Amino acid sequence: MKEKDIVIKFDHVTKLYKLFKSDKKRLLSAFIKGIKYQEKRAVNDVSFEIERGESVALFGRNGAGKSTILKMVTNVCFPTEGEITVNGRVSALLELTSGFDPEFTGRENIYLKGQLLGLKDNEIKELEQEIIDFAEIAEYIDQPVRTYSSGMKARLGFSINVNIRPEILIVDEALSVGDENFRKKCSSKVGEIIQKDNVTLLFVTHSPASAAEFCKRGMVMKNGKITFDGPIEEAIEKYREC
Amino acid sequence: MKNLIKIIQEHIEYKQQIFKLAKSDLIKTYRGAALGWAWAIIKPTVTIFVYWFAFEIGIRSGKPVSNFPYFLWLIAGVVPWFYISDMLTSGTDTIRRYSYLVTKMKFPVATIPTFVSISKFMVHLILMSIVIGIFWAFGYPPTLYILQLPFYMILMFIFCTIWSLFASLLSSMSKDFGNLVKSMVTAVFWLSGIMWSVESIQIGWLKKLLMLNPVTFLVNGFRNCFINHTWFWQQPKRLLYFVIITFILLIIALWTYRKLRKDIPDVLG
Repeated sequence: MKEKDIVIKFDHVTKLYKLFKSDKKRLLSAFIKGIKYQEKRAVNDVSFEIERGESVALFGRNGAGKSTILKMVTNVCFPTEGEITVNGRVSALLELTSGFDPEFTGRENIYLKGQLLGLKDNEIKELEQEIIDFAEIAEYIDQPVRTYSSGMKARLGFSINVNIRPEILIVDEALSVGDENFRKKCSSKVGEIIQKDNVTLLFVTHSPASAAEFCKRGMVMKNGKITFDGPIEEAIEKYREC
Repeated sequence: MKNLIKIIQEHIEYKQQIFKLAKSDLIKTYRGAALGWAWAIIKPTVTIFVYWFAFEIGIRSGKPVSNFPYFLWLIAGVVPWFYISDMLTSGTDTIRRYSYLVTKMKFPVATIPTFVSISKFMVHLILMSIVIGIFWAFGYPPTLYILQLPFYMILMFIFCTIWSLFASLLSSMSKDFGNLVKSMVTAVFWLSGIMWSVESIQIGWLKKLLMLNPVTFLVNGFRNCFINHTWFWQQPKRLLYFVIITFILLIIALWTYRKLRKDIPDVLG
């Protein structure tokens, strides 16, 4: 039997958000016990494993806890209980335009973002042209990002994230970037890196059609719990029911 | 203790990113203005001129200190203050300002104050070399005592960076704290002996009390290099107090870090 190569593992993970009446109370609560707050259980005792090269779709209505799961995979926020293991470089297409510095040019932002993700300068240099070509913003690349349209920013963001050779790709409905043509290009690029580079994909969407395009496995979330985990066709059915 | 080791490890692991981000923070501060880098010098020049004018021409209390013109005495202390006040104000909301590093990607939060501090420190280095030049132009070339300038610079850098870690953690949880700090800056400025010499205070206990203030210690240290011509080991008690206060601040900062680190993404996100 081949050893399972697990890249993402959630072990009884629970995430509680504390809702306070004011900022002051929140600050005090960090140091003093007994300040009243409301609890919001965003993720409730969730366990799952994802192997290398798998593509998994995550379904759920708004507020089901999908985004919180993604944030925890990217190691941006921390679970209240339970344990999370992630092996590999995560590239998240969460909010495509978020990591940009508006004062810097597109090219400088490519370098900045690449460096933040742990790439060396010469590695980025190799990828630079590919990123620019893919984003289709050649003539604007040396202009400050603040002058970009939202579509251009999103294209550049998408292009950086898929071209930096991620090991785990997290997509949060980001494939709806730009016009029809660019959308198709994005889809085929994601398909390509999954096939070729054995990238693990975690895909969050409301559209079953695009999920079925990439994923064989589907998970359905409801009220912070995973209610179904199995083949994509069944997952889509369950999602439509709930 | 565990947190301190972890923070140091993060700094080593991310050292390249820290310097890149310091550089980009520096560029960002001055880009977009036609005069760009010149502002790094124009702004302090105007401030110094105003102080000098008010004190020497206006109030007429700008008497020479230790045979140095008041102007020289002023710049030797006010230039380090520029860095300190920068770290008091913008150092306090670094994490808030760089919230995308906290909420959008995996990045060690404790290194954010460090790279902002490095960026501000670069400006300080430029201004300090101008100060040395001005002293020279006035006929006071550097003496042996200038050798201890890097020592005081490092103390100042460490103190302000630890402060910024503590303060930016707290202010990312609550805007009240940031506002509190901002309203205190003027008080710190006038109480720390930047415009007047603490040495000239006649009441013994008050002088001792004021000397406990780390800002006073630092400003005085810079003047030791240029004007007082005193070595740091000639005032061992002051140095000891400063080290103790820095150490206490470090412990408080680490405690705050332990308490708040996991809540910060939830609050900013």
